[in-house]
Amino acid sequence: MEAYLIAISIGILIYMLMAVGLSLHYGFTGLVNFGHVGFFAIGSYASALLSMQGVPIPLAMLGATVLTTLAAYPLGIIALRLGSDYLAIVTLGFSESVRMMLQTEEWLTRGMHGLPGIPRLFAGWVPADQIDFWIMVSLLVVNVAVFWLVTRVIRSPFGRVIEAIRDNEVAVRALGKDPARFKTRSLMLGAALAGLAGAFQAHYLTFLSPEQFVPLITFYIWIAVFVGGVNRLTGVVLGTVILVGFLEGSRFVREFLGGISEVQMASVRIWVIGMALILIVLYRPQGVLGKSTKGGQS
Amino acid sequence: MDWIAILNAAINGVVLGTLLALPVLAITIVFGIARFPNAATGDYMTLGAYTAIAVQTFVSSSLVLGVLAACAVTALVSVGFYLWVFRALAQRSNISRLIASLGVAFVVRNTITFFAGQDQYNLDVPLVRAWNLNGVRILPTDLYILATAAIALVLVFYFLYATPMGRRMRAVADNADLAAASGIRSHRVMLCLWTLCGVFSGLGGVLLGIKAVVIPELGFELLMPMFAAVILGGIGHPVGAVVGTLLFSVSQEIASLYVEPSYKIVMAFGVLLVLLLVRPQGIFGRPMAAR
Amino acid sequence: MKHSINRSRRQFVSSSMVLGATAIFPWPALTQPKGEPFRLGALNSITGVGGPYGGAMLQAIRIAVDEVNAAGGAAGRPFVLYAEDDQTKPDAAVLAVKKLIEINRVQAVVGVWPSSVGLAIMPITNNADIIMMNTCGAPEMQIENKRGLAWMFQASNAVFGKAFAKIARQRGYKRPAVMAFNNSTFVGLANYFKQTWEADGGKVSELIIYEPNQTTYRTELNRALATKPDVVALGAYRPDATIILREWFQTGHDCKFIMPGWTANEDLVKALGKEATEGIISVSNVAAHDHEAYKSFATRFREKMKREPDVFAAQSYDMVITLALAIEAAGAQAGTLDINAKVKSVTSGGQKVSSFEQGRDVLRAGGDVDYEGASSSLNFGQYGETVPDFGVFEITDGKLVLKETVPGELA
Repeated sequence: MEAYLIAISIGILIYMLMAVGLSLHYGFTGLVNFGHVGFFAIGSYASALLSMQGVPIPLAMLGATVLTTLAAYPLGIIALRLGSDYLAIVTLGFSESVRMMLQTEEWLTRGMHGLPGIPRLFAGWVPADQIDFWIMVSLLVVNVAVFWLVTRVIRSPFGRVIEAIRDNEVAVRALGKDPARFKTRSLMLGAALAGLAGAFQAHYLTFLSPEQFVPLITFYIWIAVFVGGVNRLTGVVLGTVILVGFLEGSRFVREFLGGISEVQMASVRIWVIGMALILIVLYRPQGVLGKSTKGGQS
Repeated sequence: MDWIAILNAAINGVVLGTLLALPVLAITIVFGIARFPNAATGDYMTLGAYTAIAVQTFVSSSLVLGVLAACAVTALVSVGFYLWVFRALAQRSNISRLIASLGVAFVVRNTITFFAGQDQYNLDVPLVRAWNLNGVRILPTDLYILATAAIALVLVFYFLYATPMGRRMRAVADNADLAAASGIRSHRVMLCLWTLCGVFSGLGGVLLGIKAVVIPELGFELLMPMFAAVILGGIGHPVGAVVGTLLFSVSQEIASLYVEPSYKIVMAFGVLLVLLLVRPQGIFGRPMAAR
Repeated sequence: MKHSINRSRRQFVSSSMVLGATAIFPWPALTQPKGEPFRLGALNSITGVGGPYGGAMLQAIRIAVDEVNAAGGAAGRPFVLYAEDDQTKPDAAVLAVKKLIEINRVQAVVGVWPSSVGLAIMPITNNADIIMMNTCGAPEMQIENKRGLAWMFQASNAVFGKAFAKIARQRGYKRPAVMAFNNSTFVGLANYFKQTWEADGGKVSELIIYEPNQTTYRTELNRALATKPDVVALGAYRPDATIILREWFQTGHDCKFIMPGWTANEDLVKALGKEATEGIISVSNVAAHDHEAYKSFATRFREKMKREPDVFAAQSYDMVITLALAIEAAGAQAGTLDINAKVKSVTSGGQKVSSFEQGRDVLRAGGDVDYEGASSSLNFGQYGETVPDFGVFEITDGKLVLKETVPGELA
């Protein structure tokens, strides 16, 4: 029982890292990023490949995070020139391009065959049956540290500028600050978090394949951020818990609906998620914990 | 340069593009008037296709009836969700409407699969060989699809540009506040909008089902290329939607001749990106204030 | 194609009724065996790419569980079935298998379909001492099968690819082209085909890997056909195969197709009609139509699902029967590792049996059994792999007709 809960917690914590990144992008800077899973993918594969070349896992994870941050830079340049509606599609194109590259460059990533046998985090340091527990603990620590860091960033002058950009970019420009630099930095920071999440995923699952990085994952993170409240970090926590709770919990609904087949149950699960989404948006618009902002963010 | 191959690819692209122009049009007018990207469009298409299957299975094997039913049912569902969900969200952020439309997409698709299962269905369409004109191949079925889609497009353009209601819709898309100030009753416009969205998504879906196969992911998988086409043509611009879709489809088909299929999509986005950097509002879009 | 509509109608109505009428938690024992229940987990691809196959695989597993329980259970232990959907995705599968292992405490997981899932869950099932039976085709499955707890009921892509090449060569084709769905299974198959073919002389005229979920494959198809092949090795699932073959028929180009049996079967004929499927060469595990086990299984399957079973369903059925016989052989007190040790012995060497009851009787009398399955003779190699003989069928007038048998070969 505990092992199952640990597995779910790991899933929540990995998604949470990604969601903090996205919240930074959209909730705090107003950037509509629909390619978040692309950063997740880069972080995963980079860490996996580095560690399979012999780099110790912690260094590989660090390297992966740095690589992802750098990858966000060109995207930042582009972000400046495009309005939010258009940015969404371009970022989507970015994540799909990453996925296609992972599929085609077999010499590097083994393409569709995936990467089995990725070194497992903590393997050899703790007994095998405790590894998942320690992965969860380390994720928890990282999340706490990230929350602290991001809160500091938001309360800093930098943070005030990006929130101002979200609410009224023209005014920011009028004050003599260049939104471009701030948007790019925000993008890179959020991307770093997604990359780190990806690195954890790689060394937890020990198997990666391009199919794990489809746009649906980005949509899930958006749902988590939105449901929890787009510009409150605590909302991010709640949103991810609710998201994963629904995704996993719907599995158990079947126990109460005896007369339905497996195939139909699969439909019921996602139907319930869709309906919940509609209801939350209709009746709890600011997310469970969000606060309304000047720009009518929700 | 194998001109025959290029011509064949172009023809395939034109048929596909005209067919897809219908739901892309639905997306762009909703984007322009209701101001959000409707992620449920794909699953409205799927609904259309499955409705036609249901008609063929239970009522009559007439394809025409199936097509009409697809349009009608999807229109009803589309208006229904507008009345329940999207109307209530009119004052909120784009993202909230987008997320709600994701929810609608999940609900529609899984209601279908609850009854129809996950396996593929096929519309009963006679299988014929293509006309071979010196290597250039033209398929009768494709011609019917092209004709149907083209007629639908002509009708909707007539509607949008030559009727009062159409003018009102375009006015609201252009400038909602000014339109309201001029006394345009938005409720009627919205009903019209969502009916149109439903009809075109459903029609596009059933035509797609005729050309390919009917599976649950039929529409959802096309959301990305369709949105890209909307952006390419300029959000809210009917002509742009058609031009954008055709451009994408034809160029993707021709590119497949030379490039690895996986990179087709990458190239499409690359082209889109380049265009947007040069002209951020899309081909036909109006320049927007820097955001 | 009037009859296809009638069949659709019947399938639609009866499937939904059947599906609606089945309760699934837990699948009840039909008699009252006395032993401690054996908890069996089914991890199927109900949704996603594997959707067309997953539901039928689960149904096949249920049929086998019923058979075992009706005969009094394996070594007197009734099977209790827990089923989960992996959505054909490795990350969803990991959570699903953990739920099965940790909450339902299953002792074996069967019915795993895609290699991505198999590779993702293998470390988990290995760590938990759990038997894992699957239809995964990636050769890596054998490499990662470090504890010998995984059993591959489907021949690996390498074996399939080689068989395809051999069959094409034997039938005298000179210019093959290859088109394959972009996933591990078919990319592997395509590459092994090309490797084998070119090693024996000649060149593959074109090898195209196409993206899934497209509306049309005409341009990819034209690229292949432009090189004027006399045969096309088509690694496809039913939705893309339907589109590709329809588009091929419309071009009027003259060439033959070699396809895996799980796609080139009567369902494909129903989707496309007899004309477009005439002459397709379908390669399948040979057992399919000859073995007693298949015939008896197919009858029961047909009753429930109103159609012929595909090879994955047959393999899923075999998984449960094999497991039951292994438990029977190991005894009611045996743990998972002892049961695992018996899997090979109940599928080779000894009296040939084709049902659980038959095998159980021989085992109780002290004999040794060799279960000849519904999907193949089930001869497992050193790494848990099967190298079946392949039956080469041709679709003639809408029906699969066996033409010759080709032995499978390892690397």
